[in-house]
This record gives sequence, C-alpha cells and structure tokens, in this order.
Amino acid sequence: MSSTDADYSGWQTALRRRFRRGREFADEAGPSALATVLLGTGSLLAAFVGFLLVSSLTVVPVAVFVVTAAYGYGRHQELTVRALTLATTASTILILTLITVFIFVEAWPTVEYASVEVFGVSVPGLRLFVQTNWDAVSPPIRYSMVPMIHGTVMVTVVATLVAGPLGVAAALFLSEIAPPLVREVVKPGVEILAGIPSIVYGFVGFTVLSPWASDQFELLGQGTYLFVGVVVGLMALPTVVSVAEDALNSVPESMKSGSLALGTTDWQTMTSITLPAAFSGVSAAVLLGVGRAIGETMAATVMLKGVPKLTKPLYNAFYGQETLTSLIARNYGEADGLQMSALFVAGVILFITVLLISVGSQYVEARMRSKLGGEA
Amino acid sequence: MAGATRSALVDEDTTHTDAVAAVAAGLATLLFAVGVVALFDVVSLTDPIAGVPVVTLVGGLLVLLGGAVVSFGVGSRLGFVATDPRPTAGLIAATAFGLIWFVVGGLVASQTFGLGTVGWTAAALVTGGGAFLLTALPREDVGSTLPAGAVTLLAGLVFLGGVIGPSWAWNLGWAQPASFTAGFVVPTLTLFCALLSGWASAKAYGGFGASGRHAGAYLLVYLNALAIVGVLFALVAFTVVEGLPGLLREFTVGLGAGPESTIALFGSELTFTWPFDWPFVMNGVGLLNDVNGVLPAIVGTIWLVVGAVLFAVPLGVGAAVFLTEYAERGRFTQAVEVATNGLWSTPSIVFGLFGYAFLIPRFGGGKSLLSGMLTLGFMLLPLVVITSREAMLAVPDQYRDASVALGVTKWQTIRSVVLPAALPGVVTGVILGVGRIAGETAPILLTMAGGVFVPGSQTADVVGGFEFTASPPFVANPELLQATSALPYQLYALITAGVGASGNVGNPDQFKWATALVLLVVVLSFYAVGIVTRYYFRSKLHE
Repeated sequence: MSSTDADYSGWQTALRRRFRRGREFADEAGPSALATVLLGTGSLLAAFVGFLLVSSLTVVPVAVFVVTAAYGYGRHQELTVRALTLATTASTILILTLITVFIFVEAWPTVEYASVEVFGVSVPGLRLFVQTNWDAVSPPIRYSMVPMIHGTVMVTVVATLVAGPLGVAAALFLSEIAPPLVREVVKPGVEILAGIPSIVYGFVGFTVLSPWASDQFELLGQGTYLFVGVVVGLMALPTVVSVAEDALNSVPESMKSGSLALGTTDWQTMTSITLPAAFSGVSAAVLLGVGRAIGETMAATVMLKGVPKLTKPLYNAFYGQETLTSLIARNYGEADGLQMSALFVAGVILFITVLLISVGSQYVEARMRSKLGGEA
Repeated sequence: MAGATRSALVDEDTTHTDAVAAVAAGLATLLFAVGVVALFDVVSLTDPIAGVPVVTLVGGLLVLLGGAVVSFGVGSRLGFVATDPRPTAGLIAATAFGLIWFVVGGLVASQTFGLGTVGWTAAALVTGGGAFLLTALPREDVGSTLPAGAVTLLAGLVFLGGVIGPSWAWNLGWAQPASFTAGFVVPTLTLFCALLSGWASAKAYGGFGASGRHAGAYLLVYLNALAIVGVLFALVAFTVVEGLPGLLREFTVGLGAGPESTIALFGSELTFTWPFDWPFVMNGVGLLNDVNGVLPAIVGTIWLVVGAVLFAVPLGVGAAVFLTEYAERGRFTQAVEVATNGLWSTPSIVFGLFGYAFLIPRFGGGKSLLSGMLTLGFMLLPLVVITSREAMLAVPDQYRDASVALGVTKWQTIRSVVLPAALPGVVTGVILGVGRIAGETAPILLTMAGGVFVPGSQTADVVGGFEFTASPPFVANPELLQATSALPYQLYALITAGVGASGNVGNPDQFKWATALVLLVVVLSFYAVGIVTRYYFRSKLHE
C-alpha cells in the first residue's frame, strides 16, 4: 500500500517537474519562437495524418511545415534545429510503430478466420498452430504456419551450426591471432562476404549446390533445408564475426597482458581470459547471427521446393519445403484476401521473433558493458 | 597480442621427431586437398592415379597418416620422443572423441553387422565410453593421438578393404528418400579424418602440453580463416567466369562506336557519342536487338539508391545529432536505441510487407519506384543512425569545448566542428549501407518490381518526369509512380521464370550469369569505395 502511495507521489512530482520545465522553456523562448515551433509541429502532424488518410491535400501542411522551418531557421536557429532533430529522432520510433501496427492489422483477418473454440472460449489464430495443412485453393481453406515454422527452425539450426563456431573462430583470429598484414586482407574479405547480395548466393546455390546435393544424396527433386542452411549460415557469418570481434576487442588489454605475464601461451590466455570475459558479447553476436538467418529470404525462396508441408520424417533435412520468409516472397503475387493476410501472419511471426532476439542481445551486450567497467 | 612471442632462445632445435610430426601434418594437408577436390567431383572416385583407383589411394594415405599419429603418441609415451605432455588430454577432447567413437561404433554395429536398436546402442556406448576413457585417463600424448589416429586408421582400412567402394550407397529408408553415397561419404570422411589427425599431429609438433594445444588450436583457427576467404574467392571467381561471356558480348571500343546520347540542360542540348559500345549494359530487351541487356534494371537500381539515400541520410544524421548533442540520456534515448537496433535486425521481407501495406495504397495503389525507394530508405535509416552516432561520439569533447569557449551557439558548434569531424565515419557508414540495400531483393519484390524482361523504352527517366498539375498535390512525376525493374529483382525474376519464358534473350543462362555479375560488380564497388574511404581517412588520422 505504501509503495503505491510512493509511486503515485513520485509520478506526481515527475509530472509537476515536467510542467515546470515546460513553463520555464516557454518563458525563455519567447512567444514568436514558441509560435514557430507549435506551427511547425502542428503542420508536421497534419501532414502525417493527411498521408495516413491518403489525402491529396497533404501537400498543404507539408508546404506550411517547410515555410515554418525555413522561417524558424532564420529567426530562432537554435530552437528550430533542436526541434527538427527531435522530429527526425522520433521518426525512427514512428517507423517501428507503423510497421508493427500495419502488419498486425493486415494479419488480423486470417488470425480471426483461424479461431478455434477451446472450452467454449474462442481463441483467435489457434488453428494456425495446431494443424499442419496449408490449402489456399480448395475448400475447406486452411492456413497453417506449422510447416513454415518447421522449415525456418531447420534452416536456422543448420545456419547457426555453420555461422556460430566458424564465426567465433574467425573473430578470435581477427582480434587476437592474425598478424596485421593478414588481418588487413581477411577483415575486408569478411565484410565483402556480407556485401554479396543474397540473390547471388541463392542463384549459385540454385544452379550449383542444389543439383549437386540432389545427385549426391539421391534425392527426389531439388531443394534441401541442409544446404539452404549452409548458404544462409555463410550469409550470417559476417554479422557474427564483426559483432564478436567488437566484443573481443573490448576486453581490456591489461587483462590479457596480465595473463601473458604469468607465462601462459596466447591460446591459454584466449580460452581462460579473453573468451570468458567477452562471453556475453560473443553470445550476443551468435544471437544476432541467428536473427539474420531467420530473416534471410531470397536464397531460401530460390532454393526451396515451395510446397508448404512438413518433411518426413521431421528431422529429414535433405528435403526443403518452405520457410516463413520464402512463403511470403513466393506467394505475394497471386495472393489476395485471406491468403495475403496469412502471409502477413508469417511476417508478424518473423518480426516478433527477430525483435525479441534483437532486444535480448542488446540486453546481453549492455550487461557485458557494465561488467567490464565501461571500457567497451 | 601484447607483443608476447616465443623468442629463438626458447625454441628448441628441430629434431627428427619434429620432422615425423611435420610429415604427418603434411600428409593431412594433402588428404584435405584431395577431399575438397573429390567432394566437388573434380576428381572421380574411380579414376586411377598411377594405376591405383582414388578410393584405394586415399585409403592407403589415411592408413599411413593414422599410423604415424598413433606411433608418435605411443613413442612419446614410451620415451622415444622428447615431449612435454600433461597428465590428461582434458574433458573437452575426451567428450569430443567419445562422441565421435559413439557415432562410429553405432554405425558399424547397425549398418555393417545389422544389429537392432538395443545392439547398436550397446555397441556405441562401449566404443564411445572406451574412447572417452582412453582420452581422459592416460597421459596427454596418448590420449590425444590414439583415438584420432584410430579413427583415421579405421577409415583408411574401410576404404582399402572395399567396404565403402565407389558404388557404395546407404539408403536411409525415410519416407522422403535420401541416401549417403560413396561420392559424398568418401571425401567427407577423408576431410574429417585429415582435420582430426592434422590437429593431433600439430599438437604433437608442439610437444603437447600448453604449447602443443596452442599449435593444435592455431592450426584449426588458421584453416577456418583460410576457408572463409577461400569460399569468398571461389564465389566471386565463379560468378565472374560464368558471367563475363554474356557481359562482354559484342563489346567494342573505338571512337564513335557507341550509341548517341543527348543531355538536355536548361534548354541547351549536348549530343555526344560514346567511345565504346557495350550492348549488355546499354540495351534493354527487344525483338530487334542483337544483344539484349539490362539497362532499365541498372537505371532502376541507381534511382532506388538515390531515393533511399535522400530519404534516410537527412533523417538519420538528424537523429544522430539529436541523440549525441542535444538529448540527455534517459527513457527516450533508450527507446530510440532499442528501436534503431530493432529496425536494423528486422528481416527485409517484413519491410517489404510493410511497404506493401503502407506505401502502395498511398501512391496510387500500384507498385512504384517511389514505394521501393522509401522501403529501402526505411531499411537504410537505422544503419545511418547507428554509424553516424558512432562517428559523432568519436569526436573528442575538446573540439566542442574549444568551439563553445569562442562564444558560438550549440548549433554552430555542431555545424562547423562536430559534423565535419564526423563526416568520414558518416560517409563510410552510408556507403556500406548503400551496398547492402542495393542488393536487396525481398523489399522491392512487394513494392516496386516490374516485368521479367524489360524493354529499353521502360528505362526510368525520373529527372525528365516531373510536371506541374492543376489539382493538388500540384507536382506529379509519373515516372516515380511506375513499376520498374532493378538488378536484384531482375535476377530473381529470371531464375523463377524458368526456361520457356526466356526464348527471346538467346542464351538465357548466359543472360542470367551476366545479370548476376553486373549486380555483384555494382554492389561490391560500393563496398570497395566504402572500405577504401575508411582506410584513407584512417591513415590521415594517424598522420
């Protein structure tokens, strides 16, 4: 009880303080500056609302905003710049919010369609996850995310097995082992590996790797989760390498020197000092790599079969059906109505998963930074 | 690493025992190379080399390698070789060897001897447990060589004895059929055994103990780095080799060889003739063309990048200025940080979905160049924010203090001190980000992509497309609101179009590879410029 009282009063003082600060700001800035900022803010909001409502009159508030900003820059430079940069900063949050709202809204019809009654309570979207049949053509029309989630999990597991160990080893090499000259060659190489467009990876995989795999393993048709995973792992590798290298570099040099002074080999220092100290950063790197692998689209689209089914048996990685990403890329063209909305459901699953991974790895990194005493 | 290296004083002279270990390492390297070329069918398993089939040859080499590793370990234990081993090889090595031998035992028992589940589990447990104990209990020299050498020996004997011959195949018996064939198993096993024995012999070369582990680990880490660079090189080289013939078809250089171009600026027109003719990048697809090309896609990609940069750079740099110079650290900046990092890791296809749902209805209901630009701009934004922020944080506070001491306002300090100092970092970040979005296919798939084969007449002319209208919004540009192509989309469309649809480009495979090569060149040149810029500014910084 007392704690809620304290919270309440704390909240009240915070509000009062904010209000007081606003008053001070208004007194300081003067009425003309205040009017400029208010007009600019108002016209920007109006322009945004107009854009949301698909109005051709949006051009009017945009023009007002531009004129206000120009006037403000001339008369009240400091304040205007501050307000403008604040607006650009808010836009990053705004975009993330818009993405969330729009893909959720578009996904809702299918979620509602796939409602299942459990003990008399209708649970929206449950059927997407409890049955495995995807049939968008012949009734009963059923959408299921299970085969695609299975595919994404298979590809991600293989990709992580490739990108994780190889990436961490390469990061160790770059940050601790490589002589300067070799480092100057390998580091840009890894960056360029990140630069090769995914469709080129997919094309090489499609024309070279898929037929080769189908030949080697005597498969029916082409497309395997195994090799899509290998290709996706190669693509996720640079992310792992660069983030893990940053983490390893942030271990204070004094810690490493202290260990070496005790007469250890470089490798002993790495395994017993550097890696443990940078462990959270390195795991954040692997986590980010996993995020990259989950979201990889084009290689999977080009190399997989494109039939939303589970593989038989479930652990059969030699056949590749469909992932969440490739489902969207393959079907957006002919889809409309509920099926398009089902693609948005796949997008929502991807978005939430990757966002959680991103937030999680940021948390891990923040912890490491505070642990190493701000030297990171 | 802190400049600590082994000096010549500490190194002992190379002895004949070191030579044995070095020979083993050399054998492992040779086998590794054979495994790689055999895996990609450069060498067939049945081809004879000097009258001996490759399988037999590989088997013999494996037996030699395994024997060398085992005898080195035993020799060290019996005191013939001067080494400095620890009492045990350690739990990690023991677990790894235990797992390897568990798999080996299980496979031999179930596949070769046909035992049931209980039988093979028991056999696998016996071999796995045995290998675990053999690694963990004896001294390190025996523990880390014997299990590795034995695997290699066994693999070699299996190949030599013809248990796994060239026509061997193991059907897994799954509902979706798959089998391991000799063509895959022999090279893979060879690679694996070469790695294992190579590690063991590197350890032996280092004389076991701490320095032995150091040598073994460095071998693997160096190999890994080499493999990554190798894959990169192979990928680029392959694309170049396959793409060059299509790219350079009927490429001619000479005065007046190329097509005429007209540049119209402020009423005056300038007409000139290109000094070379490069049909693949100067033509679209048309029935009358000798050589069909991808000009509309190249122009589309360029406009996409320009639009995305115009959208994302002002926003991103502005946000970075606010975050580093104006804002106090608090809830708001933290939320922005989480949002930018979240945006950075959002999958590209989700941006595509967002563009489809948000932008397309607002720009005339159809796919358009403008939607594509903005979608890619959304993707570029977090990268610009992150890199610009880093660059601004790296500007020393003394710069700001010195400027403020002169009595100027904060914005003047930012504009004339912070931004110029941070410019190199910002520029590098933007260039690298552009390289990434220029190759993105997924977002523009849903927002701007046009046809598979785009005629030259559909090349976007954004500058000439602006016109004024009488009704709001008074300015219109039909070119921006049209679907057009871009290189990554063009490649995707070509891949999925199949063979039948591509009759009118002559040699479709050549066309595809040439498109892939153009895309690769465009994207990698952004990266090259970005990396070179970084080195240039960094070297100036150190002057």
